[in-house]
Amino acid sequence: MSAAPRPRDPYRWWRAALGLYTTLFLGFLYLPLVVIVVLSFNNSTSTGFPLTGATTKWYGQVLNSADLLAAFGNSMAVGATAAAISTALALLLALGFRHGVRGQSLVLNLILLPVLLPGIVGGIVLLIFFGYMEVRSDLWTTVLVAHVNYVLPFAFLTLYPRVHGFDRALEEAAMDLGATPMQVFRHVVWPILMPAVVATALFAFTLSFDEFIRTVFVSGHDRTIPVLFWLLVVDEIAPYLPAMAVVIILVSTALSLAAFAIGRRADRAT
Amino acid sequence: MPREDREAAAGAVAVAIRKVGKRFGSVAALDDVSLDIRRGEFFSLLGPSGCGKTTLLRSIGGFEAPTEGDILIEGRSVLHLAPYERPTNMIFQHLALFPHLGVRDNVGFGLRMKGADRAETARRVQEVLRLVRLEEYGDRRVDQLSGGQRQRVAMARALVNDPAVLLLDEPLGALDLQLRLQMQEELRRLQRQLGATFVFVTHDQGEAMAMSDRIAVMNAGRLQQVGTPAEIYERPANRFVATFVGHANLVEARLTGRRQDGFAEAVSADGLAFLGQAPPHAGARDAVLAVLRHEKLRVHPSDTVQAGVAASVVERTYMGSSLRFTCRAQGGAILTADTPNDMPGRDIAEGAAVLLDWSPADVVFLTE
Ligand SMILES: Nc1ncnc2c1ncn2[C@@H]1O[C@H](COP(=O)(O)OP(=O)(O)O)[C@@H](O)[C@H]1O
Ligand SMILES: [Mg+2]
Repeated sequence: MSAAPRPRDPYRWWRAALGLYTTLFLGFLYLPLVVIVVLSFNNSTSTGFPLTGATTKWYGQVLNSADLLAAFGNSMAVGATAAAISTALALLLALGFRHGVRGQSLVLNLILLPVLLPGIVGGIVLLIFFGYMEVRSDLWTTVLVAHVNYVLPFAFLTLYPRVHGFDRALEEAAMDLGATPMQVFRHVVWPILMPAVVATALFAFTLSFDEFIRTVFVSGHDRTIPVLFWLLVVDEIAPYLPAMAVVIILVSTALSLAAFAIGRRADRAT
Repeated sequence: MPREDREAAAGAVAVAIRKVGKRFGSVAALDDVSLDIRRGEFFSLLGPSGCGKTTLLRSIGGFEAPTEGDILIEGRSVLHLAPYERPTNMIFQHLALFPHLGVRDNVGFGLRMKGADRAETARRVQEVLRLVRLEEYGDRRVDQLSGGQRQRVAMARALVNDPAVLLLDEPLGALDLQLRLQMQEELRRLQRQLGATFVFVTHDQGEAMAMSDRIAVMNAGRLQQVGTPAEIYERPANRFVATFVGHANLVEARLTGRRQDGFAEAVSADGLAFLGQAPPHAGARDAVLAVLRHEKLRVHPSDTVQAGVAASVVERTYMGSSLRFTCRAQGGAILTADTPNDMPGRDIAEGAAVLLDWSPADVVFLTE
């Protein structure tokens, strides 16, 4: 049995170079993350190298820290509330604009505009505004309002195209089959739009959960995860910070991926 | 008219359109349209794209409000009724099946909205699925169906509600030719079997001819003619109908008199003499348009017949089941003849001298 001579692959070197380049590319993106993950298991009381052994005790500390749990609770609660409020508000406007009204494009642009505002400016604007209104900074007033204010345009911009693209004929067909406007909404519009609404709410939640720069100006004594994290870094480089970073990365990534997956399903449905 | 007769007449009319007009800004989509659609008939609205067919259908279904006139269903004005209150159901141009519901729930939607009980709904749905030959497909999702099956689901979803009038907006437009012909038959079968009133919109004159009891031809928002397929084809009311339905020779001519047998005589500018049927009010010297269908004009090689209009073949086009001869008559008139492919004259070549003839019964004079 003699092996047939294999033809030489003329792109051999290209392929090798491309493989190397791709590795460097991904390395640049992920090296910092890998370092953080490695350090999070490092058995050393000072953050950083050298590695002195493996431990999971930092994760234990992180998951048992009262401060962290409180901040996590705050972030979850404000995130969920801000997501629900902004998604509901965005949905109402998107439904109202579905069949087109006069001056609609101006309104759409005005909704888009705040997205372009730098976060630091947004934070200072809110700080001055709340000061002027004499509102005391805390989680359920200033932070919630700041988050809804920040998330709302994004919620609208994610939801509007899906609501706008909703096939009018489906509503007419339902009405033709005897459905009253309320029934049309309940049995046709809502079930078809729901995945898009859920995706929008999850997206809004991740934005709120990750928001730092506005929150830090208006959070008073209450802390969300990003604010707590920042304070910890500024106060002292605590040895459990890498573990905390990893936990936050996992939570944020999982939420974003869920939002993305549900959004994809929503787009296939409509 | 005695009261009983009036009521009987009202009972025979499923939909009455009374002087209906509809403007979209400066566009008159419908202009003074009046017609009666009889109970149990397959009625087609035929016309080119943009002539107002959909607007008229949607006005009957309650999706457009006419700016003028009235619409009566079963003798009752429906203008004040919302679509969900009207005894009509519509098959939409792109079907508009509910993507989030399976076949069974799509079909049962109307019954559920009206609060029919579960068992009854399930029974009726199954019955209608059998009617459209989809009883095996109740559990499918609608995106798992072929084009023809989706068509049937749309039919079933409307028919399960037992509508007084079924409105169909070019439902076969998206299908390929084979499936289209098959669905035409299927629709016709359903309509006959149920004895329901169908109002069918199409821009395809062949489709309208093949399916309809009666046809309303529309153009630019106005009604052109209402009649059976044969009436529309054999006795077109005006130039538009004569050209839109089938293929016809149109020759400008002037009436010269009437004969004992009822046929009128006319002569064209280039000297062609016609006998044909003129409307009773038309008198000598009136300008008319002589309409002669392509297939009613016969072409003979000059040496095979004695009489006829002398002409020469300018162009011969092979069209499969038929041949088209474009001929120039003495005097210069151009006349076109469609000849079945098995006629003796099919070997006539371009440039050949021929004699043309036709029957006076096939010539219609239109006064314009
Ligand atoms: N909602 C609308 N707004 C403005 N113009 C319309 C609207 N619907 C139809 N039209 C116009 O009315 C005319 C008739 O349209 P339509 O009834 O859809 O024609 P068809 O179904 O015969 O193709 C067209 O000129 C069309 O542009
Ligand atoms: Mg149309």
